[in-house]
Amino acid sequence: MVRKKLNRKELALGVLASLMIILILTFYLWHITENVRLGYDIGRGENRLQALQKEIKKLETKKAALLSLDRVEKKAREEMKLADPREDQIIYEDSYSRRMP
Amino acid sequence: MNIANAPYHKKVRKRTKIFTVVLVLWTFGIFLRLLQLQVFSHARMSAQVLVQNQAKIDIFPQRGAIHDRKGSILAQSVPSLTVYYTPAAGEPLDLRMKPILKLQPVLELSSKDIERVKTALQNGSSHIPVKRKLELETAEIIKGLGLNGIYTREEAKRLYPQGPLASHVLGSVSVDNKGQGGVEHKFDSILSGKKGKQIVFLDARRREYHFETIEEPQRGGDLVLTIDATIQYIAQKELERAVQEHNADWGTVIVSNPASGEILAMASWPTFDPNSYPPESKEAEPNRAIHHLFDPGSTFKIVTASAALESRWVPMTETFDCSKGSIETAGTPIRDHKNFGVLTFPDVISHSSNVGVIQIGRRVGPKALYQTIKTFQFGTKTGIELPAEAAGKVWPLENWTKRSLDSVSIGYEISVTALQMLQAMNVIANRGILVPPRIVKDIQDVPMTPKRSVSEPRQIISDETARNLVSILEKAVFEGTGQEALAKGYTVAGKTGTTQKFDPALKSYSSSKHIASFVGFVPVENPQLSMIVVLDEPKTDEYYGGQVAAPVFREIAKRVLRYLNIYPDTGSNRTIIAANMGRKNRP
Repeated sequence: MVRKKLNRKELALGVLASLMIILILTFYLWHITENVRLGYDIGRGENRLQALQKEIKKLETKKAALLSLDRVEKKAREEMKLADPREDQIIYEDSYSRRMP
Repeated sequence: MNIANAPYHKKVRKRTKIFTVVLVLWTFGIFLRLLQLQVFSHARMSAQVLVQNQAKIDIFPQRGAIHDRKGSILAQSVPSLTVYYTPAAGEPLDLRMKPILKLQPVLELSSKDIERVKTALQNGSSHIPVKRKLELETAEIIKGLGLNGIYTREEAKRLYPQGPLASHVLGSVSVDNKGQGGVEHKFDSILSGKKGKQIVFLDARRREYHFETIEEPQRGGDLVLTIDATIQYIAQKELERAVQEHNADWGTVIVSNPASGEILAMASWPTFDPNSYPPESKEAEPNRAIHHLFDPGSTFKIVTASAALESRWVPMTETFDCSKGSIETAGTPIRDHKNFGVLTFPDVISHSSNVGVIQIGRRVGPKALYQTIKTFQFGTKTGIELPAEAAGKVWPLENWTKRSLDSVSIGYEISVTALQMLQAMNVIANRGILVPPRIVKDIQDVPMTPKRSVSEPRQIISDETARNLVSILEKAVFEGTGQEALAKGYTVAGKTGTTQKFDPALKSYSSSKHIASFVGFVPVENPQLSMIVVLDEPKTDEYYGGQVAAPVFREIAKRVLRYLNIYPDTGSNRTIIAANMGRKNRP
């Protein structure tokens, strides 16, 4: 059997085609893995977001409890020794006197 | 083919045939088994698989928050931990109880909790909640114990950061987050959102290994109330102080904006903390402002006066002889608290003379009085967005006795709620326009906002009648029975009420048990606040509405008006001193 000798051009084309296929496959694999990786990242991000939102809710509620009027009044009166102003200590500004909100 | 190898090939062929037949039979056997499992026993088998390998559980959505009109949080759900137990099947009860007993000190389980889990195990439950509403941090501790079958899941816990503030308006929630009382109950379907569904896959030992959400939960909508937390706080504190000072059985205060009908505060005493619901005392639970009925007494004289003016039976200049100090009504005398002499129509009301008002009532007649009572919507629910509102009791005209006209004229033989009485006063403050009260300002974050039936404001008495009543009620506060309600610097209109309570044992009105009340509005010309104060059975020497309830009105009004930046409209404060507080450039 006589083996046909490949010329350089055909060889180069073959190599190029193989390279292209390898490149495409590599890109495809990279694309898939990157997708999966990004999916994981998004999942982690979403979990973190949810956790932070829950944390915000807890902190909001805690803030509301700390600022509850009963607590604030106790602090003001007992710790800071504040008292209600006397009638004669209240001064009204002229321009606002006759304006009802 | 080699002839010598023929017997061998024959043997091979035979074996192949046998093998093929066995293979076909085996395949056929498998096919038959599959046919039995997948077709004939499909329903039974799939149900069995579902029971063994899956558990469908509810995902509870986040409950909507409740805010006051300025956005302060009154109720909010925060994530908490629920510990579940999925026991392994086939194990004896003692063995299945082991993880629970190990958890007992960590979760501080009571003997009641242990008994509950034990009963659930005996009943064959596969998913038992062990303890709810725990801190999220507990999850790590439980994980560290490495107990088989113990799982944690996040659920919502309802918190009321302001404690007992507006507790009767808010209500509370049960352990499974169902609204109990107040707006929590009334708007439960909106606040609670829509439950989701999750399938939990279990292994052969009935332990969870995978979750699949089949229906996402839908978050509940937020409620914005018309309540102002600061005004509510002031009202609640002043009410508490008054109830304790006068040793009253209970009390209620409602503060509203008469023009909009918005309730700014609604307080009842005794109260409770919705964070620890249900309250220890049953007495603390009812919202006295809308649940409790009482004879309004003298505050109701505004309705009789309105009937007289509206029907034009009694002119403003008319005088009435009240000098005897009592009047016969169906054989029984009704007395004034003192002898007044001859009073003009406005004075009869401002001095709250029973003798004078009964005479006015007789001039008006039962039909016109009854008509006015119905016009003021007594005996009908106001429609406020709170559960179990009482409608009050107005006897039909045909059931009135000889005594009824006189009794009703002075606020007896009729039962009202504090809110209905305030609504009536708001009609006068609004110059004859009835604006139904409301407590919900807005519903947010709901895909389909439900239609709310809010009645339109409407003129129910003439502007002239209302203006005359305003001047009478201003007089009642300035020089009549309501002087204690006068907040310095402000014009106040209002009416006191002191009702003798009906004693079922004596089957008559008691001379020692009273309900003291005051209802009014401020400032007179441009009413910004209206308020009713009711105290039940004050047990000190002072029991008149003018002595007990009117000062509560004054104290609340003073603080709330200052808080709302409503400036004094009368007296020395009209001469204004411009304060220099770094705001020189203001016009």
